[in-house]
Amino acid sequence: MAMIRLENLSKHYKVLNRSEGLSGALKDLFSRDYRIVKAVSDLSLEVNAGEIVGFVGPNGAGKSTTIKMMTGVLKPTSGLLTVNGRIPTKNRAQNMQEIGVVFGQRTQLWWDLPVIESFKILRQIYRVDQSSYNENMNIFEELIDLKALYSTPVRYLSLGQRMLCDIVASFLHNPKVIFLDEPTIGLDISIKSRIREVIKTLNEHKQTTIILTTHDLSDIEALCKRIVIIDKGTTVYDGSIQKVSSMFGAHRTLKIQLPPAEYLALDQLATSVNGHFSQASAITMEQSEEGWIHFTINQDEVHLMDVLNYIGHHYPVHDIKIEEISIDKIVKNIYEGGLA
Amino acid sequence: MKTPLYYLRIYLSIVTQYIKAKLQYRTDFFISTIGMIFTNIAGIFPVWIIFHNIPSLHGLSFNEMLFIYCFSLLALSPLQLFFDNIWSIWSHLLSGTFIKYYLKPMNVMFYYMSEVFDLKGLSQVAIGIGGLIYASNQLDVQWTLLNIVLLIVSLIGASLIMISLMILAASTGFWIMDPWNVISLVNRFRDFAKYPVSIFNDFFKFIFTFIIPIGCIAFYPSQLFLNPLQDNEMIVFFSPLIGIVLFIIANAVWNKGINSYSGTGS
Ligand SMILES: Nc1ncnc2c1ncn2[C@@H]1O[C@H](COP(=O)(O)OP(=O)(O)OP(=O)(O)O)[C@@H](O)[C@H]1O
Ligand SMILES: [Mg+2]
Repeated sequence: MAMIRLENLSKHYKVLNRSEGLSGALKDLFSRDYRIVKAVSDLSLEVNAGEIVGFVGPNGAGKSTTIKMMTGVLKPTSGLLTVNGRIPTKNRAQNMQEIGVVFGQRTQLWWDLPVIESFKILRQIYRVDQSSYNENMNIFEELIDLKALYSTPVRYLSLGQRMLCDIVASFLHNPKVIFLDEPTIGLDISIKSRIREVIKTLNEHKQTTIILTTHDLSDIEALCKRIVIIDKGTTVYDGSIQKVSSMFGAHRTLKIQLPPAEYLALDQLATSVNGHFSQASAITMEQSEEGWIHFTINQDEVHLMDVLNYIGHHYPVHDIKIEEISIDKIVKNIYEGGLA
Repeated sequence: MKTPLYYLRIYLSIVTQYIKAKLQYRTDFFISTIGMIFTNIAGIFPVWIIFHNIPSLHGLSFNEMLFIYCFSLLALSPLQLFFDNIWSIWSHLLSGTFIKYYLKPMNVMFYYMSEVFDLKGLSQVAIGIGGLIYASNQLDVQWTLLNIVLLIVSLIGASLIMISLMILAASTGFWIMDPWNVISLVNRFRDFAKYPVSIFNDFFKFIFTFIIPIGCIAFYPSQLFLNPLQDNEMIVFFSPLIGIVLFIIANAVWNKGINSYSGTGS
């Protein structure tokens, strides 16, 4: 059964060109001076009950906008959208009763109140009966050390603790669908892995459908079978994460910084690297901020160490970094036929 | 359907917790309460000075002025106590944190306003009640059962007037993002509500009666108690109705606003 269904969904923002001061405010009320931003265009998607879908894309791809439409915060400009059989904006309060939402950096707990009081208020708001409340609180207690935080006001929690509390709180009323918009943003590795564990356990336990956005592919690898990649408001890939991982898992980004005097030699560097390695298609190069050059290297064909050695030998390298391939590069690769 | 009882329960739990948390910062609470008391007393002070020299102004005695003033303090208290979060709406709208209030199975306005209960406003209620009792003793106002019912009904209606105007001002933010200027402007009407409409010239008298019905907050409904019932103009009886109608309009505009607000990026 499709829990979430999007058909040619679009969202165009009208952005007001604002004026200053009180008279400006009054003028703006009747102003027609708009700019249109096409955040989501013709997006189609179907998600089955119980699935965890990873929703990724570069900055500004339209992920949050799509989530805001699916939660009933924003009205789509056009297209069809049902979540749990309902049109989200139609009966907002009723719809909210059956879904859960966490927006990355912003807590939905009561800032000044102790953690446990937020849970008690949520229990009243969602009219959760005492026995399922107790049952859920026991589950949460096992997953995260909630009791230790009970009396701490939310404003004193660390970002990671708060995120954990926000995530478990979104499960309190046993929603059918949960939307998590960047639940791991700004967190260190150890908290990230705890968050993944909590999401995974709760999903298995409750069979909740989960849509999750992130910029960290390892979140998706740990949690999802299915990944949807969007760019400029439309889907560029929808399929198994395995295919993406096997395609790009061996890709690494090698970042190299050269001293200012060498800036000009960039073209020459490219020619020289490409000339030296016969599998030139396995290496792409681009210039980034102040003196940094990024090489994306497919390790199935060329060893990163060989490239590094070669460059280190011929150029006065200042600094290096090695990273996993970014979502942006994957999207770029897909456009170039990488996943076809 | 959610009953008023559902909302009352939630409001009480939030406010109880909120007050508990607030009382941990006692100095802050005392200082702001004292400030509030001074502001409210300072408002009647100039009137008291004037009446030192003349016995009546536009046919009103000092005690009648005091009655109207204290009636206005009471009529403006619900706005102060329950709707103070209006003052923060600009920051929620500009930063995008406002969308959080869409995400619970509750009325958005209720959820938003429930987040702040202005404790210091209680001092305004105390001054209002004290002053009203004093003035009505001096004026020999009879507190019959009918009068008490009338007082409560007209206070509720009157309080809705300024609440509605402030909600309308705040709602402009859903379209223009930063409603601070509009809210401050409308807030200034609050001061005009405290004095008799009859002291203004005909132009303002007309405006404050029919265009922006500030006179209906305290001046007109007070006449119910200051004059024999049958001597009053019709408007005196309509004042609660005006409050209710305005509130219905304000609520509709707010709802239209939350449907067209689109938040911010990220
Ligand atoms: N309220 C808004 N008004 C106008 N434009 C907006 C608004 N919200 C988002 N946008 C624009 O719409 C586009 C999509 O934004 P959105 O926040 O959905 O992207 P995203 O995929 O969530 O990006 P990120 O990874 O940075 O969170 C961007 O170009 C953004 O600037
Ligand atoms: Mg986003």
